[in-house]
Amino acid sequence: MRAVVALAVLIGLGFLKLPIERNLAALHRQEHFRGVEFNLDLREKIGQLGFIAALSGFRAIVADALYIQAHAAWENTEWGRMLLLFRHITTLQPRVLLFWDTAAWHMAWNASVAAMNDQKQPRLALRVKAQREYFALGRDFLERGIKNNPDRPDLYEALARLYKEKYKDHERAAEYYAKAATLPGAPTFDRRFSAYELSYCEGREREAYERLRGLYDEGPQERLPTLIKRLKFLEEKLGIPETQRIPDKENKTVK
Amino acid sequence: MTNPAVAVHGLTKIFPVPFHRQSIVAVKDLNLRIDPGEVYGLLGPNGSGKSTTLKIILGLVSPTRGRTEIFGGDSRLVESREAVGFLPENPYFQKFLTGEETLHFFGRLCGLRGAALKNRVNELLRLVRLDRARNRRLGTYSKGMLQRIGLAQALIHDPRLVVLDEPTAGVDPAGSREIRDLILNLKERGITVLLSSHLLAQAQEICDRVGILADGVLVREGHLQELIAIENQTELVVADASDELVRDIESLLSRSNAKLIARRKSTTTLERLFLEATKNDEGMTKQK
Amino acid sequence: MTNRENASTLQQFDASTRAKRYRALSLSRILAITRNTLIELTRQKVFYVLLVFALLLIGSSIFMAQFSFQQEFQILKDVSLGAISIFTSLLAIVATARLLPQDMEDRIVYTILAKPVPRFDYVVGKIAGVLLLLAISTLVMGAAFLIVLYMREQAALHATMRQLSGAPPDQLADALRAVRSSAFDADLFPGIAIIYLKACLLAALTLFVSTFATSTIFTVVVMAFIYFIGHLQATAREYWLQEHGSALITRVFLAVVTLLFPDLQAFNLVDYIVAGTAISLAVFAKTAVLGIFYTTIYTLLAAFVFYGKEL
Repeated sequence: MRAVVALAVLIGLGFLKLPIERNLAALHRQEHFRGVEFNLDLREKIGQLGFIAALSGFRAIVADALYIQAHAAWENTEWGRMLLLFRHITTLQPRVLLFWDTAAWHMAWNASVAAMNDQKQPRLALRVKAQREYFALGRDFLERGIKNNPDRPDLYEALARLYKEKYKDHERAAEYYAKAATLPGAPTFDRRFSAYELSYCEGREREAYERLRGLYDEGPQERLPTLIKRLKFLEEKLGIPETQRIPDKENKTVK
Repeated sequence: MTNPAVAVHGLTKIFPVPFHRQSIVAVKDLNLRIDPGEVYGLLGPNGSGKSTTLKIILGLVSPTRGRTEIFGGDSRLVESREAVGFLPENPYFQKFLTGEETLHFFGRLCGLRGAALKNRVNELLRLVRLDRARNRRLGTYSKGMLQRIGLAQALIHDPRLVVLDEPTAGVDPAGSREIRDLILNLKERGITVLLSSHLLAQAQEICDRVGILADGVLVREGHLQELIAIENQTELVVADASDELVRDIESLLSRSNAKLIARRKSTTTLERLFLEATKNDEGMTKQK
Repeated sequence: MTNRENASTLQQFDASTRAKRYRALSLSRILAITRNTLIELTRQKVFYVLLVFALLLIGSSIFMAQFSFQQEFQILKDVSLGAISIFTSLLAIVATARLLPQDMEDRIVYTILAKPVPRFDYVVGKIAGVLLLLAISTLVMGAAFLIVLYMREQAALHATMRQLSGAPPDQLADALRAVRSSAFDADLFPGIAIIYLKACLLAALTLFVSTFATSTIFTVVVMAFIYFIGHLQATAREYWLQEHGSALITRVFLAVVTLLFPDLQAFNLVDYIVAGTAISLAVFAKTAVLGIFYTTIYTLLAAFVFYGKEL
């Protein structure tokens, strides 16, 4: 009988604790804690083990175990298996930037190079197609990673690097470096890198020049060789008057 | 008029049995009074309600009807247990604790601390003759030693009433003798003892009053000597009587209205014989 | 000399050693039971097996050197904190499930409660012993984890200094700063504290369940069930409060899950800490308050049920 009374009290107290739990959940959302949404889709994505791990609060360990498997798959160049494993890993741990970054790196850099150098595929066109598919997979990981972690600069930087090095899309690269630069904890070079990339974009030289000049005017800490080089290039291209140009001595190579 | 040590008024305890219509009546309308300083034996076969009665008196089980009191206070209140020490049947203590540590633990539970606790523990270990075994873990104690340490913990807070549930069950004759002597020692100090037992011969040696329970009902109660005395028979035990004297006594009886029922040699008890034999054996072993 | 004569020569009790007058709530009484419970629990083999297993798991992270330092620290923290979480949760349930039933089976509960010991003090003393054991275990494992983390951090720093020996000082400083920031994070301490509080909650809940459970196995099975449901409570809560089109029986079911079960997912902060998310004081404080609230309520309810239990 007392047990029944105790359960009834517990249900009554449940109403008392409800606002605290809701408040805490709201705080979690505010601070961008992203948990795992439990649905059948998740169960299909991550399998039984992952589902149980997610249910029991040990998804971190399962994700790490899968990560080690992914590492082994990389050593065996099993790109398809790696892709599957990283999808599970990032579903289990959407807030770990390392996993999104590593997944994108494996796809867009390692797998794409392997595809291009695939001796078993004689046709160049198909090798290029495969390469671009891997670029897209890498980009997809980073974009989804950004959706899950909109407040962290790291994945924006990684995406900017991908656009710069793989797609040779300087405009997009500039855009993502600029986004990264606005976020808390972003390294100072993001602003510079954004301006550098912009300086390669046809039709946006003026904008690039103004940004690079603004950085130059901030002080010696920004007057790095690449910045000076690009600034000089733009001064020439835009025909900036001599009186407005940066001093020539800045042209000296800094060792 | 002083409060009785234990008073039981109309006590009934019914245990419901899940999924059965008929419940178990463990104790039925029991009335009992134990005066301070008495040794009271609650006797009865297994399942007669002895342990249930003791547990209700100790507040471990609640009665269905009726009430129990200890020195005038409601026994359901925790403070009433200040005056009570309890040794349960076949007690179990943590094996990893030594005798001394066990008594320290129970002493702290009763509010004893520091030097007072230490002195009390030393006294009790001497009383129950476990002084030499104080630093041994209880896991190495014999049954008799466990009963004695159990008795010591029951006495740790100097209670006025000691409740013993089957105190000599499973103990060898020597151990039983020691426990009985301890109980008599308690009586000499004015401590009331309530013990339950189904070992009737042992209860007969130490109890002042007994109550006999059967199927939860008190069927007999009273002073031991009155209960067991056969009204119309008298025993005379004579030492060094010659055959001629015995014949004279028999002749006298035959001329009276009394009837000689039996004439036999007095006997010792098997227990005394056992103790003497084992003591002699120990002596011979020591000499060797 | 007979035994009886022996007994009569024994010393009288000293009246000055009579116990103090009974007090309803006694800290020394509770502490005596706590200490005894702690000693009893540390003698159980299962404690040492679980502890050694957890320490091995933490120590095995040393062999992750094949990965980059970020990957290595990520895995080290995940595995170590996961081991601490699993061990403390398991220990909380396993150690507590047998606490009261064992005492009742051995009849030692009679000996204790026949003394002037309120049942409330007994229950509180028992659970305090478990919480103390969990605290010691958490400290030992936490210390082992931090030592391993420090050792790996030092190794990574030395490796970095070797690799960048010819690099400009600011580049080297940046690299070393990156290693340090990947390794130690001050938020690990509140994270470990929350793991401990979750274990305390589970211990108190197990104690409550054991007061009306029919056997220890029943308690453990029910707690396993509660553990899983507790991690889904947040989802059930959101569905209950937001979904208006569901059938009545579904809404009642969701309501019961929300109100009856604790939100265990709220205590899994280490995942976010290891991912590099800072834990604000507000989140930590509210989570801690929730944990203490649950632990206290379950303990009080356990005492309430045990109070009426026939022994």
